[in-house]
Amino acid sequence: MEEKDLIRLSQEGGQEAFSLLVEKYKNRVFHLALSMTRNREVADDLAQEAFIKAYLALPKFRFQSEFGTWLYRIAVNLVKDHLRKTGKRKEISLEGLSEQAAVLEGEDLRREQDEIAERRRNLVHKVLQSLPLKHQVILSLRDIQGNSYEEIAQILNISSGTVDSRLHRARKLLRKKMGPFLIQEGGRYAMSRN
Amino acid sequence: MQCQETERLLLRDFDGLLTDQQKNRLEIHLGGCPACRLRQKEYGAILRALKPEPSEIFPNFWERLQPKLKEREKAAPWAVIRAWSLRAVPLSLVVILLILVTMIFVLPSREKELSQTEALLLRNENPYLDTKALFEESRLENKNMMLIFTAADEQSPSRR
Repeated sequence: MEEKDLIRLSQEGGQEAFSLLVEKYKNRVFHLALSMTRNREVADDLAQEAFIKAYLALPKFRFQSEFGTWLYRIAVNLVKDHLRKTGKRKEISLEGLSEQAAVLEGEDLRREQDEIAERRRNLVHKVLQSLPLKHQVILSLRDIQGNSYEEIAQILNISSGTVDSRLHRARKLLRKKMGPFLIQEGGRYAMSRN
Repeated sequence: MQCQETERLLLRDFDGLLTDQQKNRLEIHLGGCPACRLRQKEYGAILRALKPEPSEIFPNFWERLQPKLKEREKAAPWAVIRAWSLRAVPLSLVVILLILVTMIFVLPSREKELSQTEALLLRNENPYLDTKALFEESRLENKNMMLIFTAADEQSPSRR
């Protein structure tokens, strides 16, 4: 059955049809929430809430955009609300991270590749969470989820040009905040080593 | 090419959005600028570290979701009704409009007959004008003729 038919049936209250839509999109919604919250339990709750909201709002869905884009917009707004409610952006302690970096430097990088990659990820994501919300969102959508510029424009209801400029600013800011951990002349943490 | 422009181009290059010409310009600049080469390396490392790690979604997603859906539907019936009413309102308007159009154009219209007095009043004429002229006529012959004409032309409200 085509997606449009599933949506129409779900709009008429068909939970079986909606379960097929859930099956199709649950991973993307969960990983979107996970990329922004870095907490599996919270991401699972937010993903469930996104599908509940979508189901209740389905009669208002007019097929003017892709269902996935519409669902993603609901999920992004939910995650943004959650992050706003749970407090300010996470302030990263540069000192703490420098210590972590120093520990990493002392390890045998070749033997502990996986662990190092994991720590790198944690480091970048920690810094990501300290960015303004709109920058977090656009980096999550593009660099973590891999959405195209056009998809992001539709999800956030902004132009492709705005996606381009906002993404550029967000990446620059992320790199700037990563500055102390990047390998440079005299840098302590070999972020750019592979 | 300035380093600032190079930064924009190399970020777009990560997204695969550069033309061949832009790619050439970028490579030429990178070839002669160690600072931009380092920047490219750093961005590459950051973007690689951002890539999602494999993470399994919790099991029984739908089984856990379904009771919540039912509960929320019960808890917010008015929200559901309101959402559905958004579709019902335009539909009702269309149905009402169709009924009105049918009544106007399809059903035979009943002609309403006006009395002579009503017809004259509608035309802003004095219904007593002819009667007055009859009474004012002094000659009996003329009066009789007028009465005959009025009787012969009963359909016309203006000739009474």
